[in-house]
Amino acid sequence: MTAPGPTAPGARPAEARDPIEDYAAALTGALRGPSRLKARMVEEIRDGLADTVAAHTGEGVPYPDAVRRAVQEFGTADELVPGCQRELTIAQARHTGRVAALTVPFLAGCWFLTWTSGPGDGWPLRLLSVHLGCVAAAAALLAAVALTATGPLARRLPTPRRLPLAVAWSGTAAGVAMGIGALALLTAAAPAANWPLMAVAGALTAVSHAGVTASARACRHCARA
Amino acid sequence: MRADAVRGHLDGLLLAVLEPGPLHGYAIITAVQRRSGGALELRTGTIYPALQRLERLGLLSSSWDAVGERRRRRYALTDAGARALATERTAWNEFTAAIGSVLNPAT
Repeated sequence: MTAPGPTAPGARPAEARDPIEDYAAALTGALRGPSRLKARMVEEIRDGLADTVAAHTGEGVPYPDAVRRAVQEFGTADELVPGCQRELTIAQARHTGRVAALTVPFLAGCWFLTWTSGPGDGWPLRLLSVHLGCVAAAAALLAAVALTATGPLARRLPTPRRLPLAVAWSGTAAGVAMGIGALALLTAAAPAANWPLMAVAGALTAVSHAGVTASARACRHCARA
Repeated sequence: MRADAVRGHLDGLLLAVLEPGPLHGYAIITAVQRRSGGALELRTGTIYPALQRLERLGLLSSSWDAVGERRRRRYALTDAGARALATERTAWNEFTAAIGSVLNPAT
């Protein structure tokens, strides 16, 4: 068995763990947010760090020293996390905002159709629908405001730091309202004359509840990270 | 120039180096360092979230570009980005003129 030969200057020691991959893994582990954007961000940073290391090794600097210098210039993973996390949190808030802003008007239309197509009874359900609709509409309004405030408007006005958390909790409220609404619609559908329409509206509300709730939960995790 | 002083002008620096044409992240870093003569203390990794923010604001656009076996994200200035750069330049010129006239009064 032969001993491994000396490593050429500038080359990474074959048996050692790649510190660039460790750096990328540290970022991946620390960041929370939409998976595609997070993967893209980490990939770009890893490639940029690798390019910086390659520039140093190209000047004859040994690989470990090149990595050390590159990280010093680049910033450690801990130093990069706050800036990256802020962008990921805003991206997740915008995603939650889009989901809420799109599903709430659609559900409001469904609930209105259910109302108008049925007989005139069922006051408790109608009253519940109004209340839940108001909660969901308020959440959708805040979501629309958040989308505007974090988009082109942010060129002129700073984005409030707590906006993503506000979007997360309003999305959570909308999700809860949709969950109760779905339950109410599906329960009331059984004895109702227009049960097929109510069942469909209830199923759509349940699907929306799942989507909005999951996105709002991810947004809460990002905002706390 | 210290890092916290540079940070306030990072958007303008990034927009300015993209004015001649699209670049990927590392080329943007080297362009900033080359233009500044290495005088700016900047944690170069911080440009990546800054690029993402500028793209969100509609000042940059980006797309993947295949370079050999690797792919790179290339950033380009949008029309809104070009307008923002012009505004940034005007503001900077006014600022330096005002500070300069105080620090170096005409005798």
